[in-house]
Amino acid sequence: MLATFLSSTPVLQDSWRLCSLANSAATVVTDHVRGVAYVAFPGTVMPSGGANLVALDGAPDGLFPPLQHRHAQHQHEDPPMIHAAILDHFRSFYTSTTFHNQILAVIEKSKAVVMTGHSMGGAVASLSALWLLSYLQSITSSLPVLCITFGSPLLGNDSFSRAILRERWAGNFCHVVSNHDFIPRLFLAPLPSLSAHHPHFVLQFWQLLMNILQSDSETAKIFGFLLPYIQEWVANMEEECVESPFSPFGNYLFFSEEGAVCVDDAAAVGKMLELMFTKASPGSSIEDHLKYGDYTEKASWQLLMRKSFTLGEPPESSYEAGLALAVQSCGLANQESISGPAKDCLKMAKRVNRLSPHLNAANLSIILSKNVPYRAQIEWYKASCDKSDDQMGYYDSFKLRGASKKGAKINMNRCLLAGFWDNVIYMLESSQLPHDFLKREKWVNASHFYKLLVEPLDIAEYYKTGKHLTHGHYLKNGREERYEIFDRWWKGREVGNEENNNRRTTYASLTQDSCFWARVEEARDWLDQIRSESDMRRSAMLWQDIDSFERYATRLVENKEVSMDVLAKNSSFTLLMEELQDFKSKTQQFPPQFPAFLNGEMVP
Amino acid sequence: MGETVGNLIGLNDEVIHPAATLAVEAHNSPSKQFLVKKIKIRHDLSSVVVLAFSGSMLPEDWFGQPPFGETEIDTGKFPSLTSLNDGGDAVVNGSFLRRFNDVLDKLSHAKELKAAIEKKKQVVFAGYSSGGPIAILATLYFLENQTLSPRCLTFGSPLVGDRIFGHALRREGWSDYFTHFVMKYDIIPRIMLSPSSTEHKQILNYFKSKFDKKNINPAPPSGFYHTVMGNASSVASYEACHLMGCRNPSLDIIKSFIKLSPYRPSGTYVFCTGNGNLVVVKNPNAVLQILIHCAELGESNTAEVEKRSLDEHSAYLSELKECLGMQAVVSLDGGPATATLNDLGLSPQAMLCLQAAEEFENRRSRNLEKIRKYLEKIEVELQMLRKYKENAQISRLGYYDSFKLQNEDDDFHANVSRLELAGIWDEIKEMLKEFELPDDFENKPEIIDLGTEYRRLVEPLDIANFYRHSKDKETGAYVIGGGPRPKRYRFIQRWLEHREKKPFGSRSESLFWAGVEQLGIDIKKKKNLQEIKDRIRQLERNMIAWIDVDKSLDKDVLLEKTTFVKWWRDLPRECNSESERIEKLIGEKAAGV
Repeated sequence: MLATFLSSTPVLQDSWRLCSLANSAATVVTDHVRGVAYVAFPGTVMPSGGANLVALDGAPDGLFPPLQHRHAQHQHEDPPMIHAAILDHFRSFYTSTTFHNQILAVIEKSKAVVMTGHSMGGAVASLSALWLLSYLQSITSSLPVLCITFGSPLLGNDSFSRAILRERWAGNFCHVVSNHDFIPRLFLAPLPSLSAHHPHFVLQFWQLLMNILQSDSETAKIFGFLLPYIQEWVANMEEECVESPFSPFGNYLFFSEEGAVCVDDAAAVGKMLELMFTKASPGSSIEDHLKYGDYTEKASWQLLMRKSFTLGEPPESSYEAGLALAVQSCGLANQESISGPAKDCLKMAKRVNRLSPHLNAANLSIILSKNVPYRAQIEWYKASCDKSDDQMGYYDSFKLRGASKKGAKINMNRCLLAGFWDNVIYMLESSQLPHDFLKREKWVNASHFYKLLVEPLDIAEYYKTGKHLTHGHYLKNGREERYEIFDRWWKGREVGNEENNNRRTTYASLTQDSCFWARVEEARDWLDQIRSESDMRRSAMLWQDIDSFERYATRLVENKEVSMDVLAKNSSFTLLMEELQDFKSKTQQFPPQFPAFLNGEMVP
Repeated sequence: MGETVGNLIGLNDEVIHPAATLAVEAHNSPSKQFLVKKIKIRHDLSSVVVLAFSGSMLPEDWFGQPPFGETEIDTGKFPSLTSLNDGGDAVVNGSFLRRFNDVLDKLSHAKELKAAIEKKKQVVFAGYSSGGPIAILATLYFLENQTLSPRCLTFGSPLVGDRIFGHALRREGWSDYFTHFVMKYDIIPRIMLSPSSTEHKQILNYFKSKFDKKNINPAPPSGFYHTVMGNASSVASYEACHLMGCRNPSLDIIKSFIKLSPYRPSGTYVFCTGNGNLVVVKNPNAVLQILIHCAELGESNTAEVEKRSLDEHSAYLSELKECLGMQAVVSLDGGPATATLNDLGLSPQAMLCLQAAEEFENRRSRNLEKIRKYLEKIEVELQMLRKYKENAQISRLGYYDSFKLQNEDDDFHANVSRLELAGIWDEIKEMLKEFELPDDFENKPEIIDLGTEYRRLVEPLDIANFYRHSKDKETGAYVIGGGPRPKRYRFIQRWLEHREKKPFGSRSESLFWAGVEQLGIDIKKKKNLQEIKDRIRQLERNMIAWIDVDKSLDKDVLLEKTTFVKWWRDLPRECNSESERIEKLIGEKAAGV
């Protein structure tokens, strides 16, 4: 159905029109249609080198920060990697100043941006779109970006496509693949196996492809040249498909003679790429790479046609009927051997959980309301600690808790809430929740409030169990990914205009920096180190750290962004501050403590 | 099967054909704004008054501002045509609304209409082609005024309003009063689903010269089918994706790149299949899918279908004459009968869409059942809070202040109850926003009553919590425009105001405490004195009215130790104008406890 919607919109045809312009002009072409900007990248670029992958982490210029940044929890995965030659290509566009100006001018003028490209241009368009998305995220802009590629080769590995999923950008990509086009399948069976026999093949191959794209005149000649190679490659492909390190991302829109299907599950896309190619001939595989204009045009008509089942009885259940229609749309219905696997594959793409995102969100609201009492109990606990005689505040009470029933209960609540929120994040990342989920204040606020209330307990638990001794400090090594995600949600929310102008006159009900206690613990550690440190240089560095902590803490307290419990008489913060003053006055005779002139030297 | 159209739409069959004839006649006599005719019904000798409106084929009477010429409806004339949950006012075609306004004056003074109202006769507004929208708006206008309950019949009418428009109609229970006849291939009922274009002008010009009778056989335009139906198909497939629960985020991303028509069908649709059968459909999502899919290209070529789509617009009279007498009417609601749909020639793809549309309705009823189970839970929690409120009177503190202090275990339990109730009502709110509940949910008396009780009892606790944590420092006062007041209360208040036909914001008794707290803060800040005096006076008056007149505010605010009484007694004398009255109320309350 999504395929029908896509082909009924003018976006596809407009994109293709611009792509063919870009191809014949061999430059980047931009255009505006109804307030939407189109940027097309020419397919006439020549990748140098083979199909080797490079890690994005290694890219020095920080092109895609959100994809490059990996949280500790994903360290065991491969780093996200993409095709080296394509990255080089994108970089050559990217480093030219005209490109920047062009894109920025486009962003200013329009309500939405489409990045598009044919063949190799599609891959460059994908990278440009990723860059633009990263850039827009950094300036918290919500300009809609769509990337439409036609017959683009595969770009990156599995981690790369998962990183895109995690950023929830997969929906911004739509890769159009026609029936037998071989370019999108190219890296499933890498070319180097061929080039061993024909050292110049790769070079010649791209040269020829470029020529075809630029003008149709030489097509016949090129066919003659290419066909034998393609034949060999097709034979190779059958053997090597499984081994390919490449993995698709985003939506794939498959066009056949019969219609179109849209698939977004990476595994299913890979399978479909393979299945739809089974009946391809070398001729058709080249032709289809060039025929996108025909396919888009035809698709816009096909959706107005009344389609009926070409073979056999209509299936009984509507679910089966839907599948059968989809298989037919791939043009596989009358190919006995393939239609079966194709059906399974599309079934997989439909996924097991068939609840709609909105219903999921509604269900989640119920679970949230069930979890609220746990949170209320923690609040209650905090309030009772604030009032109790030992005057420690809830952070220290929790950290130093004995085998009390109350403490255990709170600890259990803490774990329950963590489980709930982890599930929310999982559902969001696997797009089981509505697209605008993060625009709903309720969830952003609830997660923020949860973070402020519960993270101090996590920190307390971390230091109570002595994990900092084995793993290092909380901030760098112990912080759960969910808190970082919540930080991003909170930053990304739409801030009303009347906010933040009011200065606080009383202390906040919750400390506004949820990592406050972790910083206190670190400062305490520094102070302990100074006592035992003999090296002047090291101790000066530590002093500097402590000084910056002190400034940070004072600012927070002055702005009343801390809650009462921080300033409780026996809280570790108060104790630390006292100790610090005490220590400072004792070490008064050893100037310089916070030497201003050292700053320049010490900070690289 | 076997029912006639009249039975299904609740109107005598004898009325339909004469109404259609009058509608066509009125459409072609632009000199008169409408025609009136009395139709006698043979078997019970009653009579029905039919008013039919003239039409216009001028492009500016169809599309104002491109691409879709939509405008927000005038809620002064049509107070009900709005969403009660932040969805905004209904959107209608601006040109049609303008033409309706031109007719309105003459229409409301029409003597035939006055006579019909007096004699309590059934009135039918009818319209053919561009007369249809006027008939629809006129019907709505009189439904809003409650002067009479007219019926509406249209033949080949273009679409008038958006989703909110249809939603409001169904919420008010008016949807059944509207019946639209549509021929299988007629292009006009579909034309509003695509943006205005040169093709539209060609089509309208063609009909104009045809109706003017200057040119008997004008050359039909060609090549419009792909544009109009292509755009219409975008709308249909987009809606179908939603009905089928498509989770792909691309759907909404792509939607932001194109502008889809806002117009959607509403009311009952009767599709004329062209072979003597009629199909009656009420589910608005199903109507939309059928509108698009039954006009798909079949084996015949595009030119033929194009010609048919023009010809059928002028074939209503002959078609209706043929099939109205027969009992070959099928209603689609309550399960799609495959046999019927064969008459419409729908593809398997279309059948899937229809099933999804039906499933969507089922889901809404299931959701309603689910909510009904919640109502019990709400009742339990409310009962607890009622008790809490009563106990809090003993200390003469009142539950508002007791909650604000949070000293007792009871206060904590009340807080848990508050949060659980908030969860339930927030969920209801979300479902309403996504149209996941039946359209008339917000008009159900038992829901409004329960919601109102919830609002009056629990919102003070939210306010107490708000000011206890001094959240006004972070977000500003509790009650400001789109401020921190939870939306659930705003919606529930809206339901009540809508039922009582009172202006928005008039039933804000549950905000009493917020007013008191905010005044206290503003006085300390030494804001403009005159303004504060005015606000105090307003608060006092409202309070007396709420306590004395409609009993919507409980007297426990008058307990001696409450924030209100303490604050009010501390006010400088010149500030309170109603001191005697309020002092008396406080005295009464003190004596009563």
